[in-house]
Amino acid sequence: MSQISRRQAMAVLGALGLGATAAACAGPGGSTTPGGSTGPVAPATGDITGKVSFAHWRGEDKAVFDELIKRFVAKNNGVEVAQDISTSNDYNAQGLQKVRGAAIGDAFATFRGAQFKNFGEAGIYTELKNSKAVGNYQKGLLTAGQSGDSQLGLPYQVVFPMPMANTDLFDKAGAELAPKDWNAFLNMCEKLAASGVTPISWPGGDVGNGGQLFNCMIANNAPVDDMCSQIEQGKLKCTDDWFIKMLNQYKDLAPFLQPNATGTAVEPAQNLFSQGKAAMLATGSYHIAAVRNLGAKFPIELVFPNTSTEGKAKYEGAYNATFILGVNSASKHQAAAAAWIDFLSEPENAAYYANQTAQHVSVKDVEYTNADLKRLSPWLDKRTALAARFQFQNLDVRNAVEASATAVISGTSPEQAAEAAQKIVDERL
Amino acid sequence: MSTHTGMAAKRKAPDRRMESATKKRRSPTRVNPALYLFPLPAVAVIAFFLVMPTLQAFQYAVTDWNGFSAAFDYVGVDNFIRAFTKDSLFTNALTNNLKFVLLVVIAQTAFSLVLALLLTKNSRGGILLRALFFFPTILSSVSVAFIWKFIYDPNFGLANSVLGATGLQGLQGSYLGDSNQALYWVAVTQVWFHAGQMMVVYIAGLQSIPRELYEAAEMDGANKWQQFKSITWPFVAPATSIVVAYTTVQSFKAFDLILGIAGNPPKSSLDILSTRIYSTFANSEFGYAAAQSIIFMAMIALVTWIQRRLLRLTPKGE
Repeated sequence: MSQISRRQAMAVLGALGLGATAAACAGPGGSTTPGGSTGPVAPATGDITGKVSFAHWRGEDKAVFDELIKRFVAKNNGVEVAQDISTSNDYNAQGLQKVRGAAIGDAFATFRGAQFKNFGEAGIYTELKNSKAVGNYQKGLLTAGQSGDSQLGLPYQVVFPMPMANTDLFDKAGAELAPKDWNAFLNMCEKLAASGVTPISWPGGDVGNGGQLFNCMIANNAPVDDMCSQIEQGKLKCTDDWFIKMLNQYKDLAPFLQPNATGTAVEPAQNLFSQGKAAMLATGSYHIAAVRNLGAKFPIELVFPNTSTEGKAKYEGAYNATFILGVNSASKHQAAAAAWIDFLSEPENAAYYANQTAQHVSVKDVEYTNADLKRLSPWLDKRTALAARFQFQNLDVRNAVEASATAVISGTSPEQAAEAAQKIVDERL
Repeated sequence: MSTHTGMAAKRKAPDRRMESATKKRRSPTRVNPALYLFPLPAVAVIAFFLVMPTLQAFQYAVTDWNGFSAAFDYVGVDNFIRAFTKDSLFTNALTNNLKFVLLVVIAQTAFSLVLALLLTKNSRGGILLRALFFFPTILSSVSVAFIWKFIYDPNFGLANSVLGATGLQGLQGSYLGDSNQALYWVAVTQVWFHAGQMMVVYIAGLQSIPRELYEAAEMDGANKWQQFKSITWPFVAPATSIVVAYTTVQSFKAFDLILGIAGNPPKSSLDILSTRIYSTFANSEFGYAAAQSIIFMAMIALVTWIQRRLLRLTPKGE
């Protein structure tokens, strides 16, 4: 009994191995879906205590959230809030796996589109339909956080994914800020180029930021508002005339971009704009704070590359309602997490966030004191299209469709670029 | 004689008994069971972190699991068929990766061997230069990516600035933005990053070659090239084997460098297998991504084996 043979030892190890194999073969999806089968339920109520993890991707807003956390903790004794911040690309790629299970992310944010949908399908969101916070939001902007009858999340930010303009350079060049159609837009670019500046700084080397221009270019070209969903479903094609027309307009833009634009990352593109070497930065209003930090002192406006002809534009801008706040259904601190979301959604706190980060918010009755936000606030009331690129549920499809525009700017013919994109879409139908 | 024999016989009998008892105790097939407890922690760690995930990858690879749902279907080998026949993004990444491996293996092996040949001697200057060339190896790949991202930036980058300052504006380019060239520029970065490390492996190999061989060759009238061909190259074959295998695996897995330099997701011109697998996982296609991972593993094994056969670094049957 005190000794075993090598053969017996191997048998024991073999049994352990088989056990490991059996455990490995337990099947994917074993641990799943809190609240998945019964649908989302409201966050638990109770004492506002415990340590709440707030998962998001806005590293640049950390100090502002820290201040808001301080105020929240002062109001609610016994609660702590810690920020778990990832870069936006990582959060987009791994957010669901990180937040699922609620090891982090008792409260969290998602991007509109594929990520919001996946979080919803994974049952991570709780139901906020009857929450205290929901009444603070502008009704029309809440749709981005809805799924069926449920209000899963609260889209906190309103951003304008449109080129930002240095109005000083526009004045100097005598270029108009609100072109009524595509020819007017190209004339504007010509005037800017003639004045000795690069008309548009575009980060073509950065898929995420470079793709924002797509929201403007497609808005008035597409025959329907859910054009990207329809492309993904095969109902519309990249080889359709309207899409080729849009790619041709991208081709028109190429001479007005900085040299080698397809290799430019976002930081150099921001630098060109903030140093006054480029008149526009084709990303969006979410970069206002970044360019101010880089030393931009000039007044900033937004310009919509209006692709319509003869002033027949359906839309005069593009917007996105994003940073969709939610409470984790697997959280052990749901009451505290919900209280934190309620706190952020109060007009006073939302105003603090907005003015400090130079981002508009979806919360009602917010007074914008930040000079940039004040200047851009009229855009909140314009006829703007909800950013189309976030309709894509499949990121490979989105990247392929947007890459067709980059290919055109690199010199590929619009027809060839469209065919290459459509091939990838077809493979994923 | 007989007395002597008798005493010897008497001595042998208890010796045999002792021997047999010792044999029983020290049997090579019987050990104290407590000894088997010692490797258990290591076995458990390996089982949990290596065996189970690998087995799970095989299991997931035959499903259409999205990574979070309870529901999934078994799809057999469909994921593998899809990767090779219905997914041009995957075949593009595979082509890019093979091209990248080929470029880096050839350039890095040659470059590190040349550096090692120049710096074999333990002179003060040689040691300083070795440290200098080895330096990039101790940097994190993310730092390297950001350094080279700055070098390649077409507007503010070092490469275009130097070309502009020296009157070579005609050579200025978009670097990573040019889909036909981007992979080559990343290969340059990869070689810069790791050539110093491989140089050290070669120096160790070169320093173990007996000096007498070169002296004898010189006396026979062999020139430098003949000495290299007949002495140096055969003697550094084991080092070459390590360098080639390591560089191959490194080039297949240049994930963090590519993501750092090209962003996430990288453009299709810089998409390699590891970044493609990551994108597939991010796209909530866990089953398909697991199948791609298995193809990735098989590809590394296959390419490494082919290289070793082609370079005759491994004798047949070894």
